[in-house]
Amino acid sequence: MRNKWILVLMACAAATGARAGTWDGVYTDAQAERGHAAYMQNCGRCHGADLSGTFEIPPLVGRFMPYWSGSSLDVLFDYISTAMPLGRPGSLSPATNADILAFILKSNNFPSGAKELSADGLKAIRFDAVKPAKPRTKKNAGSQ
Amino acid sequence: MDRRYLLKNSLALGATMGFGGCAATPPPAPQQMPPAKPVSTVPFMDRVPPLALVRAHTDRLFDIKVCLRPFRTKGPNLDVEQIGDTMVVHNYGHGGSGWSLSWGSADMAVQKALSGSPKQIAVIGSGIIGLTSAITAQRAGAQVTIYTRELLPRTRSVRANGSWTPDSRISLAAEAPANFGDTWEKMARMSWKNLRPYLGRAGNPVAFCDHYRLSDTPPGQPVPVDPNIPPLPAPSWTGLPTQSADFGRYDDRIADLTPKPEVLTPDNNPFPVKYASRTSQMFFNFTEYGHLLTSEFFERGGKIVMRDFHSPSELAHLPEKVVINCPGFAARDWWKDKAMMPVRGQTGWLIPQPEVNYAMTYRNVQMLSKSDGIMVIALEYGDMKGYNNSDESVNRAEAERAVRVIEELNSRFKPT
Repeated sequence: MRNKWILVLMACAAATGARAGTWDGVYTDAQAERGHAAYMQNCGRCHGADLSGTFEIPPLVGRFMPYWSGSSLDVLFDYISTAMPLGRPGSLSPATNADILAFILKSNNFPSGAKELSADGLKAIRFDAVKPAKPRTKKNAGSQ
Repeated sequence: MDRRYLLKNSLALGATMGFGGCAATPPPAPQQMPPAKPVSTVPFMDRVPPLALVRAHTDRLFDIKVCLRPFRTKGPNLDVEQIGDTMVVHNYGHGGSGWSLSWGSADMAVQKALSGSPKQIAVIGSGIIGLTSAITAQRAGAQVTIYTRELLPRTRSVRANGSWTPDSRISLAAEAPANFGDTWEKMARMSWKNLRPYLGRAGNPVAFCDHYRLSDTPPGQPVPVDPNIPPLPAPSWTGLPTQSADFGRYDDRIADLTPKPEVLTPDNNPFPVKYASRTSQMFFNFTEYGHLLTSEFFERGGKIVMRDFHSPSELAHLPEKVVINCPGFAARDWWKDKAMMPVRGQTGWLIPQPEVNYAMTYRNVQMLSKSDGIMVIALEYGDMKGYNNSDESVNRAEAERAVRVIEELNSRFKPT
């Protein structure tokens, strides 16, 4: 009975298009490199070269994760796009902001992949702080 | 020797020295008395007491803080709106008046929040507006949870000036609602009453001091800006404000609360400047005041949850169905409130000198001695300074320039 439900859930996921997550390699190394340069030019003065922030400026690693994870990546992207850089908010292009977001993901130890992060479609990418457990296949589900 | 003559002249000598005087010092022997001077006509009680000088040197600057005043052109947002099944009472946008107006604004917000008799209330933010809102709700019987991404001393509130300045950048006169003056006055008077119990407590959470305003030119004339100070950048906004006079001014409404400025006559002016006046200044010592507020919040059973919010709709998922929203400047991005404008402010801090117990303004620089340091702030360009500037990085050159103004003034004191 349980196996039947798992199959139904998997079928539903396939029908709706399974959402990717930040652990699925949603940016490329080359993009993160570009993002690194853009970050140093536009963000590093406040957030620091190592993203650790200051007493007043929030870090982009560590406690950054519980504050921003748990939703989809477009939430963080929209904030970066409209509120940052603090001194001239909204001044960077969507492509540059996507590169910076890729660099932030890399700095938080999310794996890179083969496809670049695009400003479009970020709503379909979950921002998971912890790597989700692999969905059980029919074979290993049955073995338990 | 007449006893009254001795008393008068020994006090006059102390005042002339400007510092180091002490009531316990025995009067000089008659044969050492200086030639008799004209007796001051200033009443004894009004004479400037001996003043210790600030050791104003740039290497004593041990901290520089930058804040963004949460200025809202229409005045603070105190509206109520519904997000799903959650009632949100806004309480943000107090510009440079947050510390001053906090209790009055909190009272207004809590009265709205309690209209449905909720047992639990959420407060968003734990700056001075959030903390006072939370405590006011607790004092009214509610159980309160604060949701915040920062705690004291890391909130922007603690990077403020921290003086009683209840109408500092509180609105643009032309954009504030017609009845805002009435709202403001009620808020200011309610705050004033609520601050009273914090006076005289250990650690001086709230205190008064004399504030000396010094000038080389007659009062009322504009103080020229130091030519070494960069000019204001061209406005990056359209419309108002174009000048300091565009900001709302309401303090005439509460003129009865504080003493009138008092001109210091030459025989009562210990400063090496031609013109001086004195007022009384209420101010906040962040460390002790913040500690007291936080302690009261916890003693009343308050809880704090560390979290950030990115969309107003997230409030509907909180267990509390009444929320007092005190995000400060974050409202600009979180609530897309276009009336929110950042106004950059920077304070330099010299190492504390408990013996310095006054404030002073001279050549567009203000100095205020607090328990956690001597604040020095540059004031040139008035309320236009820092408008629509959200650069929170430190400008050390500005802080050092301000210290040097005090240093130059103090170097002109001549002990007699």
